[in-house]
Amino acid sequence: MRSRNGNRPFVFTSLTLISILSYGAENYYIGYRLTTKNAQPIEETFSLSKAMQPCPKNHGSALSLQRHDDESLEMVLNRDRTLFLEYAASQDFRLKSDETLTSTQLKSIQTLTLPTQCYAVEFNGDLVTITLLK
Amino acid sequence: MRLSAALALLLSVTALQAGIFSSDESSEQKVKCVYSGTDGNCVEPILRSQNELVITVTGQGVAPSVTSSPAQAYALAKRAAMVDGYRLIAERVKGVQVEGQDTIKNMMLQQSSTKTSVEAIVRGANILNTTFKEGLCEVEMEIALSYSRVLH
Repeated sequence: MRSRNGNRPFVFTSLTLISILSYGAENYYIGYRLTTKNAQPIEETFSLSKAMQPCPKNHGSALSLQRHDDESLEMVLNRDRTLFLEYAASQDFRLKSDETLTSTQLKSIQTLTLPTQCYAVEFNGDLVTITLLK
Repeated sequence: MRLSAALALLLSVTALQAGIFSSDESSEQKVKCVYSGTDGNCVEPILRSQNELVITVTGQGVAPSVTSSPAQAYALAKRAAMVDGYRLIAERVKGVQVEGQDTIKNMMLQQSSTKTSVEAIVRGANILNTTFKEGLCEVEMEIALSYSRVLH
């Protein structure tokens, strides 16, 4: 078990690494929406746009995804969408649910929205590092 | 003998009354009421400042009937289960709006429908466990509520 003093270099290195990644990275706005009907997904939308202006530099934890060849961010996110959503689960998810029950049927429609937010995206060889900028 | 018994009974009744009153006063000081609606009834808050409230739910999802691969079916079913889990969390924390409508014609029920809806913003829910069996995906999710999380 590390001592409190022993953790300082580790924390400092991590913060420096994240800072370097954030400053050298490109900024993207990423949003997500999933609609399910009767517990089956019917529509899934990933909105992705490169930021025209730099975003604020406050950042949280980072997510690293594998990148094959020269895949774009969209392709990487499409492949590892579940991982990205689990990473994004620490942020705000907006949920809207409507259920209608009649004598003959039950209809359930739910929409889960990840509000569009700015992320720092760093392409580094076969790795893509995504960091939320708040 | 009878006199001493009556005296003991009197003393015990007095002590009991004093105990009841004192406990009422202390409980009134300790419990902060959260008033719900306009009825003015005292509702004790569930979330207390010193401890966390952990809510665990299990969301269920089914893959669409047409998928290109089993992996895609699993991924889509898991996403649907996540949405269901978020809905269950929102229902538990925020509550559900229920609206019922019955249509009666010539003293006979023609149509009956019940609508439930919930709309919420959920932050910090964690996925604990995922199981996929016979096309049904179940995702166990939890959310920890505390004063610091609710207020910030």
